[in-house]
Amino acid sequence: MIDFRRKILRLYRKNMRSSVYIAGLGVISAIGNNVAEHLAAFEQERAGMGDITMLNTIHKGVLPVAEVKLSNDELAAITGLPVHISRTAQLSLVAAREAITDADIPGLDSLRTGFVSANSVGGMDKSEDFFIDFLKDNSKGKLRNVFDHECGSMTELVADQLGITDYMTTISTACSSSANAIFYAARLIKNDILDVVIAGGADALTKFTLNGFNTLMILDKEFCKPFDEHREGLNLGEGAGYLVLVSDKVATILKKPAYCKLSGYNNSNDAYHQTASSPDGTGSFLAMSGALQKSGLKPADIDYINLHGTGTPNNDSAEGTAIKRVFDPEYPPMSSTKSFTGHTLGASGGIEAVFSALSIKHHIIYPNLRFETRMSELPFEPEKHYLADQDINHVMSNSFGFGGNCTSLIFSRI
Amino acid sequence: MLAEKHITASCTISNNIVSKDGIIEFEKPGADLSAFLLSAYQHFQLNYPKFYKMDNLSKLGWIASEILLRDSFEKDNYQPEEAGVVLANANSSLDNDLKYFNTIKDIPSPSVFVYTLPNIVIGEICIRNHFKGEHAFFIQESFDADFIEKQVSYLLDHDILQACICGWVDVLERDYKAVLFLVEKRKNKNSVLFSAENMNKRIP
Repeated sequence: MIDFRRKILRLYRKNMRSSVYIAGLGVISAIGNNVAEHLAAFEQERAGMGDITMLNTIHKGVLPVAEVKLSNDELAAITGLPVHISRTAQLSLVAAREAITDADIPGLDSLRTGFVSANSVGGMDKSEDFFIDFLKDNSKGKLRNVFDHECGSMTELVADQLGITDYMTTISTACSSSANAIFYAARLIKNDILDVVIAGGADALTKFTLNGFNTLMILDKEFCKPFDEHREGLNLGEGAGYLVLVSDKVATILKKPAYCKLSGYNNSNDAYHQTASSPDGTGSFLAMSGALQKSGLKPADIDYINLHGTGTPNNDSAEGTAIKRVFDPEYPPMSSTKSFTGHTLGASGGIEAVFSALSIKHHIIYPNLRFETRMSELPFEPEKHYLADQDINHVMSNSFGFGGNCTSLIFSRI
Repeated sequence: MLAEKHITASCTISNNIVSKDGIIEFEKPGADLSAFLLSAYQHFQLNYPKFYKMDNLSKLGWIASEILLRDSFEKDNYQPEEAGVVLANANSSLDNDLKYFNTIKDIPSPSVFVYTLPNIVIGEICIRNHFKGEHAFFIQESFDADFIEKQVSYLLDHDILQACICGWVDVLERDYKAVLFLVEKRKNKNSVLFSAENMNKRIP
């Protein structure tokens, strides 16, 4: 019995020491349909916001959004999925496929492979189509439009297309969803349950989210200005972002070097309010400090922070206050890439994890567009310009969700 | 694996009566639900300004939890992660959803909107008491004591929780009912064994 316990303990220690590597990336958002297009958009400082063109809503022409520049028909033509399948699943498949192709893992079929995918709207876009007809006449409306309403359906549809059968699950924790998917995937690998996990998330724009955020009065009628004293809210976006996470063992057989490793992660909750962060940023403070502790790094080791930075008065003030508590007096460069992509909700953690890995690989720091005035309560401000040739070894990526669900991830150069 | 589990307190609010462990503590016949809940809040001298922001479902569940825990719960015996909440009802947040729907005609109200989910009442109870353990909210046609017993027993038997509030909190316009139980692994002078049968005895 004692031997058995020792064995378990040894195994546990060994697992906790093992690393999780990022072997592949895939992303689609308002600024591009793949990784290469994103890198170009960042370099050219080209934001993805504009007038609403896809959704049939009363907010058209009033609220800017960051739409993926592909219609449902065009997406379906790319993915091969039928066009009646939710835009959420279409976006998910585009990015997940890019990530798997990019990782190009030899003998993938013989490895234990999982798909951990996050989203927050599920197939809501198609449910909205259903209700237009159904509410007029309850004998009308296509039932296939509500068949894939729930979040888990998106994951199953995409896993089927990817041929992943060993393990799949869906995580839905609002805006920290896909950061938590990545975090969970890492634990599946560390505990030797899987060898490879495609992890991240997707969300499509819907009337449901647009109306909901509009009700909360946190949408900016102009393009958003994260971390600016005069910020007025967020712009909703859509997209998908996935990482291919692999174990130590798989990392040794890759055909090209891995991008980086996931060295720290933490999820904390401030249990303060349904939608708002606590003013002193307790949840975000705990998430950032916990991730640092997990990685064994000091605040001064972080070379770039990819902010949650939604552009709402509440988030940026709470996140800023928490950063001050963690990093004062030396602040690394930081920026919110939501100034390019809008807030892609359940996809944002995955999309921004891709940006974090690219920041390490290409030695770049992304600009925080439209920033003008430093927030009065903060002694620091975000980076305004695209910076190349930066010495970047460790990147922190923040994703904070409604309900106080706060997650920080740390990616490190190998 | 099986832990001994006891109902160490219960609280019922229905028909404009608040009872703790089967004993009537407050009643106000005739008042509508909002007025009744406010009277109960004042009667018990509960001091929690956020109460005024809540929808009726949260007010009902929150007051029931206050009376349930008062003089019965030793908060210091538990870590925040060891206390959780498992609730059920039949009408989800429909009472507040309808109120929110009416505000859309004018300006959609953010403060009404944030209560358009049934599990917000769990959030209010957890925020108040700093509970950070597991929680779940189920929608069922009527109180299914066997189901709730299974859920709560699993959490306590597997040491996922050490204490759990469970029960029923339901509001739809004038119809409402709250029945909460505090389940712990220790006994007290009023406690009865935690079972579906003993929960059903308390349902008015």
